[in-house]
Amino acid sequence: MDAFLAGMALLVDPKILLVVFLGTLIGIIVGALPGISGSTTTALLLPFTITMGPVPAIAFLGAIYCAANFGGSITAILVNSPGDPSASATAFDGYPMAQRGEAGRALGMSAVASAIGGIFSVVVLIIAAPLLARVAYSFGPPEYFALAVFGLSMVAMTGGDSMLKNLIAGAFGVLIATVGQDLTTGVERYTFGIHSFTDGIEFIPVLIGLFALTELLEQASQLKNKPWVAKLGAVRLPSWQDIKECSKAISISSVLGTFIGILPALGATTAAMIAYVETKRWSKNKAQFGKGAIEGVAGPEAANNAAVGGAMVPTLALGIPGSTTTAIILAGLIVQGVRPGPHLFTEQPILLYAVFSSMLLANLLYLVLGLGFAKVFARISLIPPQFLWPAVFVLSVIGAYAPNQAMAEVWVAIAFGFIGFFMRRYGFSPAPLVIGLVLGRMVEETLKQSLLIFDLSWGGFLGRPIAMTLFGLTALFLLAPWALQKLRVRP
Amino acid sequence: MAAAVVAAIAVALFAATYWFEQMPEGITRGFGAEAFPRLVLGTILALAALLTVVSPTGEALPRIPAMVWYSGAALVAFMAVVPVAGMLPSMFLFLLALGYLWGERRHWLLLLNAALLTAIIWAIFVKGFGVQLPKGVLA
Repeated sequence: MDAFLAGMALLVDPKILLVVFLGTLIGIIVGALPGISGSTTTALLLPFTITMGPVPAIAFLGAIYCAANFGGSITAILVNSPGDPSASATAFDGYPMAQRGEAGRALGMSAVASAIGGIFSVVVLIIAAPLLARVAYSFGPPEYFALAVFGLSMVAMTGGDSMLKNLIAGAFGVLIATVGQDLTTGVERYTFGIHSFTDGIEFIPVLIGLFALTELLEQASQLKNKPWVAKLGAVRLPSWQDIKECSKAISISSVLGTFIGILPALGATTAAMIAYVETKRWSKNKAQFGKGAIEGVAGPEAANNAAVGGAMVPTLALGIPGSTTTAIILAGLIVQGVRPGPHLFTEQPILLYAVFSSMLLANLLYLVLGLGFAKVFARISLIPPQFLWPAVFVLSVIGAYAPNQAMAEVWVAIAFGFIGFFMRRYGFSPAPLVIGLVLGRMVEETLKQSLLIFDLSWGGFLGRPIAMTLFGLTALFLLAPWALQKLRVRP
Repeated sequence: MAAAVVAAIAVALFAATYWFEQMPEGITRGFGAEAFPRLVLGTILALAALLTVVSPTGEALPRIPAMVWYSGAALVAFMAVVPVAGMLPSMFLFLLALGYLWGERRHWLLLLNAALLTAIIWAIFVKGFGVQLPKGVLA
């Protein structure tokens, strides 16, 4: 309780207030810019948090994460081009509402539903994360290895449509994590004589390359597409009638979004899509969906913001990222010298509660900013690509260069920009690669430690029930979609 | 096609593990530096084989638009110019060049945008955070 109050007290610290405000503002702005997602922004701004210290850094990144999902709905509703992938489902009904002149009503509902979903999930995070951490407190290396493998298996459902391709990308991420000196023997692996690779490939340039520069190259291939922009009247709070109509959608979606967010590697986009389907299923106005149903905006928006708090649960309690953005936030914590996991709850409880309280604040802030300044944010979304993307590149260069002041890091970022572009072209999403990269060290270290405990016998895992349960779950998650498909095909 | 490329990369990286420095058994304790990468690469090869079975032929992809190549070349050109002109002048030139390449023809706006952004980068990172940017041989 003391830690909780101490964490809450940090909210009156002007520095924390400022970074949460800035994070929220930046989150909404970039969320509104088509092509720049919350994960791109957190990757791009990660280097600038290094000098902040752990609490302001994670408060800043957490606020961006919270606000970007809402920001994405602005362009989803006005331009039919979701600024953030998580807002894709919002466009299904938000854009038709805007076309019939109800953009302000849709944006108002989006802000309110997002805030409710976001706040609900942070409350769940406050309650669930310590409980999960307590369970994980007794975990040894074998259990952590099994947990990391389970997290990696979940990348099968992250990013692209092909499970196999997602798993391959995740495995390459793990492989990239092996670059540099082996911790046990000091042997250099895949350094190819490049001095700066001796300590491994830094997270930051890889993330900047895979998200910001890959997107720049993607945008270069789509320069001819010009969106139609809906006119935006005054953004207004939803009426009592709207709230009543959407209360069921918001409630169901907040719970669904939080739960989906908690599952490792499944993030806000999946949550929003499932919530849209469920909102439609439970609605009395099914026929209106796709034609501008306000519930079709409320459901996905509540869910994608609820998934944010949910995704932070395994990230903080277990050190297993709940989504692509939390993988980047996890990388940010590691860069700060903080290793998330159950021990964090006993060693640095104030840091955790500061994170929780700053996320709560960010949810309230974007409600106010969203309702008050959506018109301004909507204009920002129309910055022409010929000005926006060169600026993104310049920021990427500075972001990759600044932490170690080394041009080699910029080369790494550019190389991963090209790698990400070709990955996407051949149906491999960069998101699983990032999760693999973040989890890679943990997988190798815990495997080595486990094998030492078991005297180099893989059979030792059989005597660890928790590890075996996690392996069983991994097999279930990997084989269930395939088995279901086979069952469906059978007459 | 994708599976074959994946497999080729994995085989090359697997072969590279044979060039890792060898350590005595007493240090590696049965799990050398090459063991884990080989385990991961073995998994990748198995997944690539499965990918070939599941989706043996992929649809022909559309050609990569020329603008992607030009933009990619601009990124590499930027890196080539930095050691000569320095980071800030290279950024200024890049902002002009990519903006022009992507269709902006209002020269005054391009110049204004490039000058303003370069100045902001200088003010925040060089003056504010004390980041030492590469100066280039011309400086």
